[in-house]
Amino acid sequence: MSVLADTTWDVIVIGTGIGGGTIGRSLAEAGLKVLFVEKGPAGPRKARNGLDAGIFDPVARAARGAWPTPLRARVNGRSSEFFAPLGAGVGGSSVFYAATLERPERHDLDPAPGRDHPTGGWPVSFDNMLGWYDKAAKQYALSGGTDPLSSEPPLPLRDPPQMSDGDAAMMRSLSGAGLHPYRLNSALRNVEGCLSCLGVKCPMTCKMDGRSAGVEPALATGNAALLDRCEVRVLHGADGAVSHVEALHDGAPVTLRARHYVLAGGALGSAHLLLRSASEAWPEGAANSSGMVGRNLMFHLNEMLALWPARDARFAGPSKAISLRDFYHMDGQRFGTVQAMGIDAGYGEIAHYLNLMFERSALRGIKPLRQLTRLPAAMAAKLFGNAKVFVGLMEDLPYADNRVVIDPDATDALSIEYTFHEELLTRRRAFRKAIRKGLKGQRKMFLGMQPELNFGHPCGTARFGTDPATSVLDANCRSHDLRNLSVVDASFMPTSLGVNPSLTIAANALRVGHHLSKGSQS
Amino acid sequence: MNRIIPQDGIAVVTGAGSGLGRALVIELASRGFTVVGVGRRSAALEETRALAGGSVHVAPLDVAKFDDVIAEFARIEDTFGPVALLINNAAIYPHRDILDETPESFMHSVNVNLGGTLACSHAALKGMVTRGQGRILNVATYADIAPLPASAAYSVSKGAARILTRALVADLADRFPDIVIGDWMPGMLRTGMGIPGGLPPQVSAKWGVELALMRDPGLTGTTFEQNREVLPPQGLKSKVKSLVLMRRRRPRTIG
Repeated sequence: MSVLADTTWDVIVIGTGIGGGTIGRSLAEAGLKVLFVEKGPAGPRKARNGLDAGIFDPVARAARGAWPTPLRARVNGRSSEFFAPLGAGVGGSSVFYAATLERPERHDLDPAPGRDHPTGGWPVSFDNMLGWYDKAAKQYALSGGTDPLSSEPPLPLRDPPQMSDGDAAMMRSLSGAGLHPYRLNSALRNVEGCLSCLGVKCPMTCKMDGRSAGVEPALATGNAALLDRCEVRVLHGADGAVSHVEALHDGAPVTLRARHYVLAGGALGSAHLLLRSASEAWPEGAANSSGMVGRNLMFHLNEMLALWPARDARFAGPSKAISLRDFYHMDGQRFGTVQAMGIDAGYGEIAHYLNLMFERSALRGIKPLRQLTRLPAAMAAKLFGNAKVFVGLMEDLPYADNRVVIDPDATDALSIEYTFHEELLTRRRAFRKAIRKGLKGQRKMFLGMQPELNFGHPCGTARFGTDPATSVLDANCRSHDLRNLSVVDASFMPTSLGVNPSLTIAANALRVGHHLSKGSQS
Repeated sequence: MNRIIPQDGIAVVTGAGSGLGRALVIELASRGFTVVGVGRRSAALEETRALAGGSVHVAPLDVAKFDDVIAEFARIEDTFGPVALLINNAAIYPHRDILDETPESFMHSVNVNLGGTLACSHAALKGMVTRGQGRILNVATYADIAPLPASAAYSVSKGAARILTRALVADLADRFPDIVIGDWMPGMLRTGMGIPGGLPPQVSAKWGVELALMRDPGLTGTTFEQNREVLPPQGLKSKVKSLVLMRRRRPRTIG
């Protein structure tokens, strides 16, 4: 430990999820001396747990690689506390993900005729990102199919494993309805003994995530070290640079130094750290002369949908192989992708879902009522039978008032404020209508009436851009204010895309890593 | 896949010098397992080894001496390979009126019956967690439900050991579903600790070994009595749920 603290590293990477793991590997492979600093524990590699919101003891949560404390959310002015699906261990949230890595569409990054971009476009164009997407797809061993509606150059995808009969029937059924399903792009390597770790930690190096495709190969180079159970408390510095970070390692204070600092603690964690690093030098928080740190917080909106395969094609087990982009962008509106969730509409999932609805309902103060969700869930499980759960991910747009905040009552707790803007609700209605219309003739049912934020997909809280007045980071994700600080988690994203963010985070981390290592050589 | 075979590693049985422990060692050895018998008395362990034949090794060890347990388990794994199965069988049952117990004598029983189970499990788990696989079977009793006179230390410590099983499950089952941990009640046996008219230990040992070699994750947290699962009592809510889902619970049986 003291050796790690006494070293001046080339780069300290704070956080080890998709962003941190990927850039750390790229820097270590380029020969730089990298220290990963991770709030959570490395933990036993063979652990297979998921994120269980029912486990509330912070020590028990930390031991499982879950973010130990609840998220404090003020949504539409109403406060609640719940465990967001966030990881805090080596690999971050990504060790729990369903390994769906999809490349976004051109209009997600670039303005295009008839497809205005909410921020006027990313500072890096889709064409400039293509090569990095390819690299990320290879590093994450992506397999799957290409969207038949796309005219872009295809990603270098490995052949997906044989599709189950049920999924094949589902594909036929969707194609028959005039839709364009394709094989979901997945980061499961499907090695022998693959346990299909969707939503849970993979005990092998089969699921490619921030740990298996990032931190572990980085450590194998011999150029990187890992300091786990180490929570960065504050970034210190002055005169346009970070001087050192103050952290707690197993609860004991420690000071860490590097020539360059890469922040990758997640869009909530990173913004929270920058804000709580406010000092005399930076009264509004580190890297925050724009006042944009924490702002423009976006999530995806999840539209959960039960779909029944045709009567002759019923099958047991979840569908996890199908994606379609027929509703991605319609009539000038930004919607998003629809994909298999990889879960069955079983009792547990439905109960969990009803509980989430309950937590947001007016009755949530009356705890014993929570148990009542079990009965409808049990009945629903019977009713749903072999329904497969699909989810429509709808793009959220940046609003300055949706943001990460420092709660004066709980300065250590991740806290957010979020308002559902009318624009979003209107677009959501249109998205549901489009799905309903597009799936005409298929037996289906939306699982939920209220808009559901996907708290596992936060982004936008330190967006990159060319104007220091309206963005936190420059085009290479370096702080406009602090020359030796970069941010590479989903914070950098100016818009939330119509797909899962992981591939974009990985591709961008590779891009930023390339510029950093090139810069350090010159 | 869901059954432990000798190639997976060795079996460790505590309290191997007599009674049920000896019968478990013999049964495991007869099925081709390399077995390490743990116990306090070298001579008794040697006798077990002679009776068992096969690949049986002895590890003289007092499970209440925790440092010794740690060192011995490290030596066992170094010498004989990974522990695929641990049967915590060692226990003492000092029939003593509570007025004749001292806090020290009482806590000694706790140290053996609860502490020994914990120490051996903890030591074995080290490797099991690394491999993500293993099996721990704890020999248990109903002694805690209605403690008999002159059995306070035994009842308390064995009852606590059952809670320990549940606590291990709470801490480990979601992370390591392939480390299967459960309780087994062998029944009243014709052993030094049992009763004269009881079941011959070698009969019960067949069930115990059969159960111990099963590592279906669904067995974690279960209790078996002799060869049959004891279903946990059901609350009203789960009764209603079973009814609605039309799922009747059926106890599993061995063999």
